[in-house]
Amino acid sequence: MAKARARAAAKKVRDKWRAKNWYKIIAPPMFNNIEIADTPADKTSNLINRVTEVSMQDLTNDFRKSHIKLFFQIHKIEESNALTRFIGHTLAADYVRRLIRRRRSRIDGVYDVTTRDGAVVRVKPFATTEKRIQSSQKRLIRNVMKKTIIEQAKTKTLSEFIKDALDGKIGSEIYKNCKNLYPVKRIEIYKTEVKKQPTIKTEEEKPAEKTKEEEKTKTEKEEKKKTEEETKTSSSAKKKIVEKKKKNKTKATSKTSKSSNSKQEKDEEKRKTSTSNK
Amino acid sequence: MGKKGIAHIYASFNNIIVTITDITGAETIARCSGGMVTKSAKDEGSPYVAMKVAQIAAETALEKGIDVVNVRIRGRGGKKGGSPGRGAQTAIRSLVRAGLKIGTIEDVTPHPHDGCKPKGGKRGRRI
Repeated sequence: MAKARARAAAKKVRDKWRAKNWYKIIAPPMFNNIEIADTPADKTSNLINRVTEVSMQDLTNDFRKSHIKLFFQIHKIEESNALTRFIGHTLAADYVRRLIRRRRSRIDGVYDVTTRDGAVVRVKPFATTEKRIQSSQKRLIRNVMKKTIIEQAKTKTLSEFIKDALDGKIGSEIYKNCKNLYPVKRIEIYKTEVKKQPTIKTEEEKPAEKTKEEEKTKTEKEEKKKTEEETKTSSSAKKKIVEKKKKNKTKATSKTSKSSNSKQEKDEEKRKTSTSNK
Repeated sequence: MGKKGIAHIYASFNNIIVTITDITGAETIARCSGGMVTKSAKDEGSPYVAMKVAQIAAETALEKGIDVVNVRIRGRGGKKGGSPGRGAQTAIRSLVRAGLKIGTIEDVTPHPHDGCKPKGGKRGRRI
C-alpha cells in the first residue's frame, strides 16, 4: 500500500519536474569561473539568491583545504549559466573543535572592515595558545589582530583579501606581529561574511582618492569604536572564562568515572534502576 | 559528469526522514520517511526501515539524474540534545548500495550555545 502510494506521488511530481531546466552554477571570477554544480528551476527568477556551499577542495583539488567551506550566491543568469558572488566562508565545525583543547586559551575577534574597493567584510579570526593566558594578554593579542586585519583590508581589493584569508597569509601576518607579545600557536580566520559587495569596480586613481577620504573619517570612527569594543570584549572575556571553568569541571568528573572499574559502575546502575523502579 | 545533490538525513529516535535536494537546497528531488514504508509506529526509527527509506529516495534521485550526493546527518538536537539516531548509519550505507556516490558526510545536528533550560526540573524526569 505504502509503496503504491509513494509511486503515485512520484508520478504527479514528474510532470512538474520535466518542465524544469538545469542551470550551471559558475564560481565568481576570483575563483577562476569554475563550473561548480547544476540546479534545476522552472523560472529564472527563482534562481536568484540561491546559495551554494562548496568546499575549497572541489575548487582547487587541494585535499588539505577540504575543511574550508565557501558560500556563493546566484545574482545573475546568462543563458544557461548562473553567475555567483562570494558571500562568505566558514571552517568545518569539527576542524575548529579539534584545534581547541583544555587548558589552552582561545582568542576570538569580530571585526567589520572595508576593503580598497569599498566592500564591507565581517572577519572572525581566532587564535589558540599553548597555555592558558591572562585576559590582559588576550586583549593585547586581540588588538594586534584588529590592527593587522584593518591594515590588510585597506590595501587590498575584496578578492585579494579573501584569497589571502583563505591561504593563511593574514594569519601568518598576525602571527608575526603577535610574536613579541605572546607566542601564539595557531591563527585561523574561521569565518568571513560579505556585508556589502564592492561598489568601486575599476582600480583607477579617482576611486582611490575617494577611499582615502573615507578612510580618514573611518579612522576617526574606528578610534571611537575601539574604546567601546574594548569595554565590551573585557566583559565577554570574563563570561568565557566562567564557561570554561564549568566545562573543565564536567570533564574532570566524567574522566574519573571512566577510570573507575566498569563492573562497579554496572552494579551501581543496577542499584539505581532498582531503586527507581521501587 | 553526474549532477550533484545533497542528502539531508534526519534520524531521530522514533523516525527517519530522507530528503534529497539539489546543491542549493532549494529544489527537492526525492523524499521519503519512515511512515511511508512501515505501518507500525514503533518501527519507524529502526535501522531496517532506514535502509528501505534511503533506498527509495536514492532510486528516485538516480532516475532524475543525480549521481553524487553530499550527506548531512542530523539528530534531534536543540535543548533536548542527542546525536543522530539508530537509522543514520544504515541510511548512508544503503545510499551507497543504491548506486549514489558520496562526496562529504557532515553532522549538522543543531547544538545550543546555551539557550533554554530543558524541561523536567532540577532533578530530571522522575518515574
